[in-house]
Amino acid sequence: MVLLSGGACRREPPPTPPPPPGRPAAVAPAPQDTAFAGTTAPIDRIRATRAGAAGLHGIEATTTQAYDRIVFAFTGDSVPGYHAEYVHGPVRRCGSGDPVQFEGPVLLVIRFAPAQAHDEAGRPLPVERERAVGLPVVKEMKLVCDFEGQVEWVLGVAAAAPYRVSELARPARLVLDVKRAP
Amino acid sequence: MIARLKPRLGADAALLVWLAAACRGSPVQPCPTQQVAAHQAQGPALPSPFDSLFATAGAEFHVPPALLASIGWAETRWQMVRGTEEFPGREARFGVMALRGHALERAAALAGVTVDAAERDPVANVRAAAALLDAYASAAAIDRTRIEEWSTVVTRYSDIELPDGRAAYLREVDRALARGGVRAGRGPRAVAASACSPPPGGAPDYASAVWRASPNFDQRASDATGAIHMVIIHTCESNYASCWSWLVNPVSQVSAHYVVNEDGSEISELVREQSRAWHIAASYDCPLNRRHDCWLNGVQSNHFTVGIEHAGFASQASFPAAQLAASATLVCDVTRDRGIPRDWQHIVGHGQLQPADRHDPGANWPWIAYVHLVQARCGEIVVDDSAEFNDPAVAVATLPAAWPTADTTPDYYGGGYRWAPTQAAATDGAAFAFLLAAPGARTVDARWTSGSNRSSRAAYAVVAATGDTAGVVRLDQTTGGGVWHTLGTWTLPAGWNRVVLLRKDASGAVVVADAIRVRD
Repeated sequence: MVLLSGGACRREPPPTPPPPPGRPAAVAPAPQDTAFAGTTAPIDRIRATRAGAAGLHGIEATTTQAYDRIVFAFTGDSVPGYHAEYVHGPVRRCGSGDPVQFEGPVLLVIRFAPAQAHDEAGRPLPVERERAVGLPVVKEMKLVCDFEGQVEWVLGVAAAAPYRVSELARPARLVLDVKRAP
Repeated sequence: MIARLKPRLGADAALLVWLAAACRGSPVQPCPTQQVAAHQAQGPALPSPFDSLFATAGAEFHVPPALLASIGWAETRWQMVRGTEEFPGREARFGVMALRGHALERAAALAGVTVDAAERDPVANVRAAAALLDAYASAAAIDRTRIEEWSTVVTRYSDIELPDGRAAYLREVDRALARGGVRAGRGPRAVAASACSPPPGGAPDYASAVWRASPNFDQRASDATGAIHMVIIHTCESNYASCWSWLVNPVSQVSAHYVVNEDGSEISELVREQSRAWHIAASYDCPLNRRHDCWLNGVQSNHFTVGIEHAGFASQASFPAAQLAASATLVCDVTRDRGIPRDWQHIVGHGQLQPADRHDPGANWPWIAYVHLVQARCGEIVVDDSAEFNDPAVAVATLPAAWPTADTTPDYYGGGYRWAPTQAAATDGAAFAFLLAAPGARTVDARWTSGSNRSSRAAYAVVAATGDTAGVVRLDQTTGGGVWHTLGTWTLPAGWNRVVLLRKDASGAVVVADAIRVRD
């Protein structure tokens, strides 16, 4: 409400440039990407901040001849910390501890912190909690945790293929590519 | 109609009017930011998930961000919608701003984004809506600094023909504006008084808690593993309202029994203590908890725990004293009702039991002082063998240097215990002193770790501050480790009274000096 007057009064150009137009969640994959090395080892990028969980508001799943691409779109300017790894054994919901069922045995976990997939009034952000993406490698993905500043997605994949992550800013997105079999 | 958008009375509205007046005098100057800061300090700021987008787009297109937020609230309650044509002639609506039809196409063009982006992408959607409102405002030649003049623009944006419908729409936007977009809230007490009813089955387990029922719970195990045995301390990693409102949403699949707000002025109960809340994913692993209760290994930890969330963050440098005090009072109540010992094996951090991916309540939760606070709320003083675990204002232990330290046998109080072999000629003892501010009757308990080599007749002398021995009590330390055993009740004077564990006895056993407890 107070911002109202501030915004309405402002006539000079805004202090920060507006985000570029376009669909932030969609990152067009390159048709050919021969440089894809990737890893099957865990990737860990910790970003501890006191407050201000990034809101995960969108997910896009696409595929190319080289890899499947999952894009996680966040509110704010930068991607939160994340941890990705292949896991064995059952995945559990972070509150109840209940196991979550997947079609296949190979699971790729990606966990974001500080992050949340709900708003400040306790409503889920427009992110599906489960998705049967049905891509060549990534078959399904389920949100198993959205609690205490952590958001955890688990991807059911056809094989433990090399993967890579990259970060994009303005708007903040994390791009997860999982290599397709040659 | 115009009056509909006038802010209602109240602190927000008054400030808004004041700011609008200030702006009118110098329309090219930003409003005074210190007033914004002062306002924000007054109450909980619960932004919508799109606030940054409203602010950016509002600045870009000279539309009040609060108006964008309020329209977004009125249209979609801040959801990114992907509409379908529900009725013939009623166009599908898209995004948080519910853009549709020709207006959507025009808005996208004005903002320089594709229609597809304006439908699906929150940034493009809000920018497009702002651009459209900008165009409407220019066409109507309104004075943008006067909030009431925006009503004509909002009416056009609504695209509603019926006058009654327009009025209702404006009322919705106005309501969102007047309440800071339904997110500023009032005091938590006001919400509590109006929004909450008692839980089924009577009052909350904690009398002063506000009952806010969460559907996210199930039944504890019916065997011994389902007996309430520990309290788990959490931080929400968010503010209070955000915390409980998510935990009561069935989508979240998470919950806690209690949530304590930032300043300790309110506690919500979301799940009855008798039910199994969903606050800790880990299965129990006793090495993480001083090897306490290893028989519970592998049991899902929600079964035997009560979960308490605290508004705030594990990365906080400190926690408000009032929040800690309110939390301690709650934990005193829970532990008293459930017969849970008040120590660090039974009042445990989430991160301690689930170190793989949790840290809460964080390195700066004052564990020792906090448990002392819980004890004090329950009217007890505990004296440990180690100064580290004592509140030196009321509890001091003096142990002979020759008594070794150990933590080999679990279920000690604090970080371990001291022991000594019995000797017929020994004159030394472990002295546990406690300060009573006023004389009165006190019950004294002792605790040890048990084993077959312990003395079956360990002698505890209770020595009053006056120097008189009130009594000597012998207890069997070969069994009963890890729980409190009553020595007796005495009327003790004010000042430093003591309990001295003696080792003067026939040799061949050891006495264990772990802790003593004094209670009303």
